[in-house]
Amino acid sequence: MAVALRAEGLSKRFGGLKAVDNVILELEEGRILGLIGPNGAGKSTCFSMLAGSTPPTAGRVFLGPEEITGLPAFRAARAGVVRTHQIVRPFANLTIFENAIVAAVQCSGLDRAGARSLAREVLDFVGLGPRRHEYPGGLTLAGRKRLEMARALACAPRVLLLDEVIAGVNPAEAQEMVTLILRIRDERKVSIIMTEHVMAAVMRLCERVVVLDAGKLIAAGEPRQIVQDPKVIEAYLGKKHA
Amino acid sequence: MKFRRPPWVKPRAVIGLLVVCAVLAIGPLLHSDVYIHNLLTLTFIGIAAALAWNWLGGYVGQVSFGHAAMFGVGGFVSAQLELKLGFPMLIAWVSGGVIAGLFSLIWGHPTLRLRGPYFSIATIGVGEATRLVGTYWDWFTGGSSGLSLPMHHNLKFTLYWYALGLAAIAMAMSYALRRSSVGLSLLAIKSDVDAASDVGVSATRLQDLVLFLSGAMIGVCGASYGSYFSYIEPGDMFGFDRSISWVLTGVIGGIGTIAGPALGAVIFVLLRQYLIASYPQLYLGLYGILLVLVILFEPLGLTGLAMRVLHRARPDLAVTGVAGED
Repeated sequence: MAVALRAEGLSKRFGGLKAVDNVILELEEGRILGLIGPNGAGKSTCFSMLAGSTPPTAGRVFLGPEEITGLPAFRAARAGVVRTHQIVRPFANLTIFENAIVAAVQCSGLDRAGARSLAREVLDFVGLGPRRHEYPGGLTLAGRKRLEMARALACAPRVLLLDEVIAGVNPAEAQEMVTLILRIRDERKVSIIMTEHVMAAVMRLCERVVVLDAGKLIAAGEPRQIVQDPKVIEAYLGKKHA
Repeated sequence: MKFRRPPWVKPRAVIGLLVVCAVLAIGPLLHSDVYIHNLLTLTFIGIAAALAWNWLGGYVGQVSFGHAAMFGVGGFVSAQLELKLGFPMLIAWVSGGVIAGLFSLIWGHPTLRLRGPYFSIATIGVGEATRLVGTYWDWFTGGSSGLSLPMHHNLKFTLYWYALGLAAIAMAMSYALRRSSVGLSLLAIKSDVDAASDVGVSATRLQDLVLFLSGAMIGVCGASYGSYFSYIEPGDMFGFDRSISWVLTGVIGGIGTIAGPALGAVIFVLLRQYLIASYPQLYLGLYGILLVLVILFEPLGLTGLAMRVLHRARPDLAVTGVAGED
């Protein structure tokens, strides 16, 4: 299986704090990799380094054969690694349609007409098509998370980094979100890394899971093995439960 | 080669601009009122400058309190090129504008990483530093006694059309920057610069581009202002109140809208003309009150007010976004 995204020895220091310490990640083409860990484990910092919003202190990142370490965020996005944000960040002053158009125009490499039709298509794909001329302020949290995903998809990414897109929405919406993520993988041929606190979703979606604790990679493997790993239980619940 | 209209240009807007310009252009041939002629010329320069300020302050949301620096640089460079090197006036204007634009990049490229009030405070420093240096470099600005430019009666009359052309170009550029796909990226930067970068928007490059265009246009305004008065002096050209006036015209007319600042500039020039002679203190006070009212009740200024009235009269004409319907 070809490797879509690979990170070697990824590290980030903030002064004396090692937020991420020597992490190795490997995402295979067409797969969903889960990145889990307790709060403050360094998941979002990992995403920032993969997507270029934060330069790593050490380590290298490869998109396929091509090194993208330290590229600024807009270049990483154009190269094909696009992230969503845990706390949604829609462009509130643009309509939903325009939110998607910005991404499509800047990233997809299509001309104006092509970018517009891609933007429409991704909004239909996530189910926001009929509301595209509204402003994001009128959307529910689940709606805004869909917009966040549509905007990322409008970049025509090869690798999508989903930062807690399920946490915080109601169970019915969570179910729809799981289906949507599977469709992104299967219909759009996008490889995905996701962080998530909703373990049921991780178990259903991810073929492989990587566990971080205090910046260090403590376990990797299939979701079923991982949830029984004493080190993982200790990281989440403390020593006496392990 | 056949010219093809880009899809974002509405024919209605082009026709509207051409009609307004045509009416204003034939105006002076029909009347001979020097006072109105003079007032309109200054209004045109004010409109061009207010629109140029809005590209950075309104579209990108980086509010500059130091744009008089480029007004002065454009004015003095253009004046020196005309006086020392004998450049024709228009070429001197354009060169002054380009140098003002480059000057804005020198301080702007590093400071545009700051956002919101931090950027604004930096621009106050830039504006005041430029004013002080400008006042001391008398080889360049003539110091406190300023510079005198060639003038004859005919030129002053003709400059009306130059100023009108300048305002028309600024208006067209405002429209193009806002309506083309670049405009959406600028608004995305204004909304959330990091999220914009995450979807491929090169914030640094676009902000630099907009600052250059804005600085260059303000520089040309400074140059035309100099030619019109045939005398320029650093305290006036680089003055802080000049920078403030563009913030005021932008906010009152409608910050970030395409034509709002032009409206703001018209009102600013008119109010000043009528009030400054009889009530110089009142005029600044009135502006202050207007500013407070706008910020409290209508963030899009007079343009927002007009849109509200229009919406009430014709609710079917919903205001759509830039992308429009398709």
